Amino acid sequence: MASDLSAPPVLSTPAEHTFDEDPSTQTARAERRTINDDELFEVYEISRTASEIAERGWRRVALQFPDAMLPDGPRVLALLEKELAKLPSRPAVVAEETKETNTTEQPLETDMTTQSESAKAEGQETRLYILADTSYSACCVDEIAAEHADAEGVVHYGRSCLSPTSRLPVIYVFTKQKLDYDAVVGSFEKEFPEKDSKVVIVADVMFQQHVTSFCGRLRDRGYTGVVGTEIVRDPVASIPNRKIIPEEGSTESSGQEDNESEVDLSAYHLFHISTPATSLLLTLSSRLASLRIYPTPDSPYSTSSDIIDPSSAPGLLRRRYGLVVRFASASIIGILVNTLSVKNYLPTIALLKDQIAAAGKKSYTIVVGKLNPAKLANFAEMDGWVVVGCWESGLVESDGMYKPVITPFELALALAGDDKRIWDGSWWGGIEGVASQAESKAKEDAEEEAAGGADGDAEDEIPQDVEGGVDEEESEPPEFDWRTGKLVSHSRPMRVAVRNAKEKDPSASATEEASKAGKDPSTTLTQRKFGELATVNGVVSPGAEFLRSQRTWQGLGSDYNMTDDVEDEESTAVEEGRSGVARGYTVGEDSSRT
Amino acid sequence: MVKSNVRNMSVIAHVDHGKSTLTDSLLAKCGIISSAKAGDARATDTRQDEQDRGITIKSTAISLYGELPSEEDIKDIQNQKTEGNGFLINLIDSPGHVDFSSEVTAALRVTDGALVVVDTVEGVCVQTETVLRQALAERIKPVVIINKVDRALLELQVSKEDLYQSFSRTIESVNVVISTYLDKSLGDLQVYPYKGTVAFGSGLHGWAFTVRQFATRYAKKFGVDRNKMMERLWGDNYFNPHTKKWTTKSSHEGKELERAFNQFILDPIFKIFSAVMNFKKDEVTTLLAKLDLKLETADKDKEGKQLLKAVMKTFLPAADSLMEMMILHLPSPVTAQKYRVETLYEGPQDDEAAIAIRDCDPKGPLMLYVSKMVPTSDKGRFYAFGRVFAGTVRSGLKVRIQGPNYIPGKKEDLFIKAIQRTVLMMGGKVDPIDDMPAGNIVGLVGIDQFLLKSGTLTTSETAHNMKVMKFSVSPVVQRSVQVKNAQDLPKLVEGLKRLSKSDPCVLTSSNESGEHVVAGAGELHLEICLNDLENDHAGVPLIISDPVVGYRESIAGKSSMTALSKSPNKHNRIYMTAEPIDEELALAIEAGKISPREDFKTRARTLADDFGWDVTDARKIWCFGPDTQGPNLLVDQTKAVQYLNEIKDSVVSGFQWATREGPVAEEPMRGVRWNIMDVTLHADAIHRGAGQIMPTTRRVLYASTLLSEPALQEPVFLVEIQVPEQAMGGVYGVLTRRRGHVFAEEQRPGTPLFTIKAYLPVMESFGFNADLRQGTGGQAFPQMVFDHWQVLPGGSPLDNTSKVGGIVNTIRKRKGLKVDVPDVSNYYDKL
Repeated sequence: MASDLSAPPVLSTPAEHTFDEDPSTQTARAERRTINDDELFEVYEISRTASEIAERGWRRVALQFPDAMLPDGPRVLALLEKELAKLPSRPAVVAEETKETNTTEQPLETDMTTQSESAKAEGQETRLYILADTSYSACCVDEIAAEHADAEGVVHYGRSCLSPTSRLPVIYVFTKQKLDYDAVVGSFEKEFPEKDSKVVIVADVMFQQHVTSFCGRLRDRGYTGVVGTEIVRDPVASIPNRKIIPEEGSTESSGQEDNESEVDLSAYHLFHISTPATSLLLTLSSRLASLRIYPTPDSPYSTSSDIIDPSSAPGLLRRRYGLVVRFASASIIGILVNTLSVKNYLPTIALLKDQIAAAGKKSYTIVVGKLNPAKLANFAEMDGWVVVGCWESGLVESDGMYKPVITPFELALALAGDDKRIWDGSWWGGIEGVASQAESKAKEDAEEEAAGGADGDAEDEIPQDVEGGVDEEESEPPEFDWRTGKLVSHSRPMRVAVRNAKEKDPSASATEEASKAGKDPSTTLTQRKFGELATVNGVVSPGAEFLRSQRTWQGLGSDYNMTDDVEDEESTAVEEGRSGVARGYTVGEDSSRT
Repeated sequence: MVKSNVRNMSVIAHVDHGKSTLTDSLLAKCGIISSAKAGDARATDTRQDEQDRGITIKSTAISLYGELPSEEDIKDIQNQKTEGNGFLINLIDSPGHVDFSSEVTAALRVTDGALVVVDTVEGVCVQTETVLRQALAERIKPVVIINKVDRALLELQVSKEDLYQSFSRTIESVNVVISTYLDKSLGDLQVYPYKGTVAFGSGLHGWAFTVRQFATRYAKKFGVDRNKMMERLWGDNYFNPHTKKWTTKSSHEGKELERAFNQFILDPIFKIFSAVMNFKKDEVTTLLAKLDLKLETADKDKEGKQLLKAVMKTFLPAADSLMEMMILHLPSPVTAQKYRVETLYEGPQDDEAAIAIRDCDPKGPLMLYVSKMVPTSDKGRFYAFGRVFAGTVRSGLKVRIQGPNYIPGKKEDLFIKAIQRTVLMMGGKVDPIDDMPAGNIVGLVGIDQFLLKSGTLTTSETAHNMKVMKFSVSPVVQRSVQVKNAQDLPKLVEGLKRLSKSDPCVLTSSNESGEHVVAGAGELHLEICLNDLENDHAGVPLIISDPVVGYRESIAGKSSMTALSKSPNKHNRIYMTAEPIDEELALAIEAGKISPREDFKTRARTLADDFGWDVTDARKIWCFGPDTQGPNLLVDQTKAVQYLNEIKDSVVSGFQWATREGPVAEEPMRGVRWNIMDVTLHADAIHRGAGQIMPTTRRVLYASTLLSEPALQEPVFLVEIQVPEQAMGGVYGVLTRRRGHVFAEEQRPGTPLFTIKAYLPVMESFGFNADLRQGTGGQAFPQMVFDHWQVLPGGSPLDNTSKVGGIVNTIRKRKGLKVDVPDVSNYYDKL
């Protein structure tokens, strides 16, 4: 199918805009010094990568670079190939045929994102592919793109969220960055003048190799309470993806060490080398006594980001709380799938759906690829979004977002109801732990406090006022909308629907009749009653209801009455318009595409 | 009780003019409190803090039974039917402090008459005028009592003629207010002593009189008709003792004549005062004999003020004259609802609900307006307090509860619920009652969860809402609250909801930056609310921020050029300009005089006639914002743009969004009109969807705002300060330091008191009371009420170094935004 495509598909962008670039990104690319091969070899850990690839016997490997490192991609690939060639070759046959089909197929399928710098060297048995423009976020392994290249494994370069993947094995190359020890030590001493301060040293993965030696230096200078960390692949650890290295001498038994560090963490300060991701900052801010950041100078390997002031974390968390509270009265929630590779994303989506349904709200699951405000704003009927993604990309700062975008953890809080919601500053951006929240919930459904308000029991909220003869036709009390400070009646559309569907009494009094909504799908023509909700196949559909009631534009001809008598448009004859898909339209019988 | 013998009335006045004290005497008369306590107990101040502070905070309802003793009196009830001589009086005592004006509004809605209390010495004050104006707007008939006459006699030692002059001046001022705000359809509502609509008295001492009472006494003596006598006992009427004739000339053969009012009414009172206060026991005894009064034995031994109180109470019991005045001159529900229905009911005046209201028909469909929520002893629950305008409400009745946004035929804001119990509100207590027919005030149990503050209850499916109340105060002062202990958050959240219910004016919400905000009318109001929140509604320790002011973002000029923004896909362009709208128009929109709901042609006519708009523009107003009704407008000025109607929804959404959070400090916008100059759209519907248009609209709105001299508006209080002359310097000093601007200063005739009126920015009003007390040695009493918005002077909000820029920076910091205001280039795209 791809073969007959001689020209690039006609997209909506007219030719003159094709090479227009967003001016904001241009500056970042402008200054980039050239790096010699030796440095690349060192930074990208070529030899380790090569040996690991060789060891695992992968023949097709995808190299995933973040945007900032992408310019180095071809050279890294070349170096890696050279290195692989040096290694003792294994008996592996590369079929010429597969090669051909792959090269043609792959650029189309991956939407021009992958590029094959395929082997020129003869006898090269391992083939490398560069993945560019990740589908979701640079910190996650893009398994989908890698699968387009039919890769057996992925080498992920740069910083990573280390979220468990569901399909492919990964080699993480964090890339080794230089660190100016004296400057960091100086900054550390300024932050912690007291030598007995309890400090956990955490570095961005790119600086990880410096942690141990840095700790050593500090101990030499008389700091007694300094502990280092090492990388573990465990996003739900108390410091995500880090384990505290027990201090030499202070803790002997390694068995207890884990417990100990957990308990003590709140007494520790944290010193972070390089600017952490905002979601990490938010996660840590409640778990440790305080956070200090040593901002590393802009390196060619990272996109420059605003330096976050750790003291702004409480403010950011408060803003998140603001979103959660406003989210509580949302009636239609979009589950936004922002990953296709993080393990357990499917069970999480199912779980979220259940939670939302249990709260009497409606959920729609939507995949938009890399999310931006424009894509989300296309779904005007959504009152808010919950992101299923890795823990770093779960935090979508809502500037420019029309509706709040929150994480599954926050959703649980939002659905918990005003009488159970507790906001103590703990925060989590990912989907890990959500399931466990719900599980522990199920176990102790008598006292659900422990689960941090994971919901599913919104029924409890409905006050069981029994005093005055309550019967079924009576309405649910409205919900308090915290944004406006008023009561809203529509925050649980599905609950109303369930209630109305149950209502079968034909002799319902006049008052009740008005509150009836549609029941079974009827085959006969019925007149739509006032106030009846839109249904799809007998199920109340808030989305359809939105389209029916909130939109003023109802299609062509509907504006006939809207134009007032000031300037009546002349009615014109109907003429045939274009038809087809955006890839190419036709006008009438003319088969030529325009 | 026959409904024609019901009187629903509220007691309204300026703060400290003696409403609660006067109410006491009525309660004593009905045996609800002991008559010895009356005047001190302030039984309608049911809350502890009301007693402690000596001010009323919540309005309190109480039902009284009264009788007119004589057949004669009943004949005097004009223009309305009456059966028997027993009357039910539903009385609501309201707070006088401006900060609690909303309570007055809620009280007025459920009553038909108002007893306006005016202090003899202080006269008509700002709040007297405000509440009177509100009463007239609700078509409520006023009667007046001039209170604290004892002060004039004891403290100021005025002469009879001076007192008369003072009375007549006060009545004059009341009448000026009444005639200014008079609703033509009500006829003449001015009050006249000779018609018996004005009483004089002392709540503290428990006495009061009307000219009518004296007229009754003298009518027999002079052998003239009582009504004629009443006319003679007020104004320029003199009894010439020489000719034994009535005259209107003040002198007879060169000799001064004594005014009839002075001679026949004030004279006996003055005599009693001087006799008692000068300890002339004998004279007192003769006077008592002359007036045919018998003191109780316990009172006989009293002396001085105590004796005075006892004598005056026996001579002219306040309750009798007030009761008589109210029964005679205030309308019954049957009478009142005939003319009130127009202002009460939103729907057509000829539907079943309107007709039932008009006729006050207990057999018609239920129409009940809940005007406020009263906390019950059961924590967190409320009585819905309201008035049955039609039909009969009873326990177990299933009603439709229609919230403020209910539109007939739609499901939004409509709830169905059975009423659990109906109760009669008796001050702090309640009496259960089986049912309550039209025309009465009632408390309802079991529907509090469905109403935030007020709403309409009905049994008719077609009924529209009763009109929502318009408050004279706005919640412009905010404080944010947070819990000391994170585990208490649910309690705070619940508490905030309850607080919001318990007060008609307070606004609780949570903002973008995650703070829970409580907004009130003034510092005192907020203080009381937060106190309630911490000690009662939430019951957990709180951290309360300093008060902050809610600003509005506006613009000072027209856009310097047409703003352009492109959609994210660069295929759609929107061009807009911004310009400020007149303050009068902004006010008219805020007051609901120009609203998005009215017919666009009539609206366009008003805009063209009253605000000088171009008719074509006025007809093409796309929407109001924020929240679809705010004082910002979006006008379509495009010519023949294809697909424009298709993107209207997206543009409107973007407009609501942008006007809710302006570009400068994410504060709501106010007083801006945007013109859509041109729009280019992609030919394919998919490329001009909401996702492309909505964010673009927001950006172009921001861009055009930033191109039009953005400005911040701050709320301004109107301050009225009563102060003795010698302390005026201090007042001026304090005002000047706080950017206050005095625009009126007048002396109250016959007193050393001056009334200063000034505008004071709300921002500067924090701590003003304390400052003023210090500056004047505690002699000045300010009343502050939100008056208007004004542009914050001191430079551009975009300039960091200016004063306004500094304020913007603090707001942005508080909200957790980037400190610098984003530049136009963030929103403006080059072609």
